[in-house]
Amino acid sequence: MFLEIEDLSMQFGGLSAVKDVSIRIDEGEIHGLIGPNGSGKTTTFNVVSGYYKPSGGKITFGRKDITGLPAHKITAAGFARTFQNLRLFKSMTVLENVLVGMGPHARTSLWQEILNPIAVGRQEKAFVEKAMKLLDLLGIAKLAEYPATSLSYGHQRRVEIARALGTDPKILLLDEPAAGLNDVESEDLREILVKIRQSGVTIFLIEHDMKLVMGMCDIITVLDYGKKIAEGSCERVSSDPVVIEAYLGKDEQP
Amino acid sequence: MNRLGIAKVAALVVLGCVLLAFPFIAKDRYQVHVINTVGIYILISLGLNIAMGYAGQFNLAMGALWGVGAYTAAILNTRFGIPFWLNVPAAMVAAGIMGAIVGLPSFKVRSHYLAIVTIGLGEVINIIFVNEQRLTGGADGISRIQMPSFFGFPINTDERYYYLILAVVLIGFFIARQILKHRIGRSFRAIRDDYQAAKAMGINTAYYQILAFVISASYAGVAGALFAHLNTYISPDIFDFSSTLFILTATMVGGMGSLAGSIVGGLALPILQEYLRVIKNWQLVAYGIAIMVVVLFIPGGVMELMRRLRASRALRWLSAERRPEERFEPEETNVSGN
Amino acid sequence: MNIGIFLQTVIGGIGIGSLYALIALGYSMVYRSMGLVNFAQGSIYMVGTYFGIIWYAGMVMGLHVPYPIALIIGISLNAMLGVLLERIFRPLAKLDLMFMLLGTIGLGFVLDNLFVIIFGAEGFAVTSPLPNAPLVVFGIRILPQMLLLIGVSALLMVSLQVFLKRTRSGKAMRASAMDNEIASAMGIPVHRMNAMTLAIGSGLAAAAGILAAPIVYVNPAMGSAIGLKGFAAAILGGLGSIPGAIAGGLVFGVLEAVSAGYVSSSYTRGIAFLVMVVVLMVKPSGIVGEVTVEKV
Repeated sequence: MFLEIEDLSMQFGGLSAVKDVSIRIDEGEIHGLIGPNGSGKTTTFNVVSGYYKPSGGKITFGRKDITGLPAHKITAAGFARTFQNLRLFKSMTVLENVLVGMGPHARTSLWQEILNPIAVGRQEKAFVEKAMKLLDLLGIAKLAEYPATSLSYGHQRRVEIARALGTDPKILLLDEPAAGLNDVESEDLREILVKIRQSGVTIFLIEHDMKLVMGMCDIITVLDYGKKIAEGSCERVSSDPVVIEAYLGKDEQP
Repeated sequence: MNRLGIAKVAALVVLGCVLLAFPFIAKDRYQVHVINTVGIYILISLGLNIAMGYAGQFNLAMGALWGVGAYTAAILNTRFGIPFWLNVPAAMVAAGIMGAIVGLPSFKVRSHYLAIVTIGLGEVINIIFVNEQRLTGGADGISRIQMPSFFGFPINTDERYYYLILAVVLIGFFIARQILKHRIGRSFRAIRDDYQAAKAMGINTAYYQILAFVISASYAGVAGALFAHLNTYISPDIFDFSSTLFILTATMVGGMGSLAGSIVGGLALPILQEYLRVIKNWQLVAYGIAIMVVVLFIPGGVMELMRRLRASRALRWLSAERRPEERFEPEETNVSGN
Repeated sequence: MNIGIFLQTVIGGIGIGSLYALIALGYSMVYRSMGLVNFAQGSIYMVGTYFGIIWYAGMVMGLHVPYPIALIIGISLNAMLGVLLERIFRPLAKLDLMFMLLGTIGLGFVLDNLFVIIFGAEGFAVTSPLPNAPLVVFGIRILPQMLLLIGVSALLMVSLQVFLKRTRSGKAMRASAMDNEIASAMGIPVHRMNAMTLAIGSGLAAAAGILAAPIVYVNPAMGSAIGLKGFAAAILGGLGSIPGAIAGGLVFGVLEAVSAGYVSSSYTRGIAFLVMVVVLMVKPSGIVGEVTVEKV
């Protein structure tokens, strides 16, 4: 298997945000993570991407144990993520935002950057080409030179995804990518995510937009109060009484 | 080439001529000496700008690091007779190492905590300058530092030293620009803009934070060596916290986050001081008020002022640009990729 | 090691530490309520000292006002200054840290140099209102003025805690500090609370200065060194925490005194700072401060 999360637990003081959660994601999957508000979804993401050290459990990626590694090492291992509340780099243009992720893949050392402008220039050109292709994939190539924060909300979301893809990930963690998007935009997002999967990137996403989730996920994991309460294909999960109970019990629409 | 292009080239040529001919058109020797000191401050300010303006790291030990460079050069020269040209890299390395040490806390503490920590470490370095008599001459400082010579040609006047400093500042500026243009600069800015997101993009923030400190300290170190050999005398009080404050103010007034700001700020402040000298005691009060005004109304310093001006009519006429409202196309409502 | 001398050193440290604590309180309170790091606090301390001492030392029309009255006058005048300063701090508080620091530093600069213009750069010594002969308590010698400093400081700190925890205004201040928006929605005038906070912080600084004046030399430059140490003490204890400011100030003072007495007087300042750096590396939020989890 590809990404294996075993018995993951995360405690903050006395509060148990995530308890004994096990998820298995296979390569090439689109895997959804849903659950009522406060069920521990983002916390799970944060642990997997290296922001918190888990209180218990193990995370294996490929054959590598990545439990407790710092965030940038996890990214180096092939993870990329977006954030629930957009966190673009405010002082940069759209293009620069995407270029940031390629930095760790640079071959030039500090000395080369100062003394060998030719090598640097070549590398930079290659980076920009790659970045423009990503922006093109997301349909915002024309906006490359604009300050990232001057774009509309929907476009900024795309920049975040492009930026994450800039790190050349094997698996992409998306935290509520459809939040704040209307139906048309959500549909476009779905198309984009399918294209991304086609290019060989596994997708793991948190979402509340059920139409989107049901429409594209292969497997869905459901969390409630930090525990896994169901897992399976869309049909299985949407007809699971435990899941319906969890949502209805909180007066939310599944 | 449009009107603005011509204007820009013309300005550059004039500037180049002025820079090259300065010692001959200066009023007197003292003016050249002032500009020499300005050049040294510009170097330190470039360093501070890289660390604070670009990477967002509070390196408030710059004065002390400047001192480390100066003392390294001074001690090597007066104790061991080592010439200027070896002292400069030595000072750079010494200050750079010190800078790395000062920057270590940046992993665990941030913003105002980091500010006071670097101030505190700077204070400790200064105390060492004062107390280690045998090494540093204590409060009396070190004197009789030799001025440099270039293959037998002595650089022993302010005028000659001017060209040396001019060369170093230009090199320093271009190196800084080169570093900041690509991967390193983007990583710095990412760390400054959003630390967590930077980590998420795979940036080894600890490495880049220390790098920022080391680079800024290196600039201060070179400036220190230049200062020691220019002045031929150094004492600990030159490098105390008020010198850090001075550099900080100059950089902010010029424009923190823009390399040109360091040049502007480095030039502006001593010139301001000269003009304010007339009002004597009130000079410093005016200085303080000026700082507050800049902070409250033009935080981006002179560079921001110029950016605002660029949108003004005069400059737009020069560049025949369209009005700003016309520059950005209306956001596409049809969102399907194209 | 002579226990008596050691205790004397420690007591001296507590004395200086009380000074630092009172100033650190100003930093922490203003930080907590306005989110502002006030680098003018040292200058405010200096101004407050002058505000009180000039009456006592015969510099105003030759009057020699009794010390306790001078103390009260100084505190009151500085408190009023604090209220005035709130207006200037309001726009500063909204800025990024860099600019906020520089803005308050600029303000401090203005105050420092205004007082140089008025009183001259030369300072003067102040005679203690109490007899100069050191008291001998349990074999330890203490200057009466030092005892006064420690005693009144303690009294002020306790009064502050009582004020904040038991009175309505105090509770309103705490609410306002905790969350400006909610407090405002509840009808608490946030600006007035901030003004009160600044008034208290400035008043305490004045008290510190006036109490310490007979021990320390008075001149317009006295603010900057003490201001920096006060800030370091506040950070050591945990910026924004009131017990932290007190703890940080006392620890800083004792560290300085002990290192001056036993290690090396010339490295005194350095050691206190070094310890602060080490403590922060181990516990980034200070001795007492709370640890907040940064949400992603």
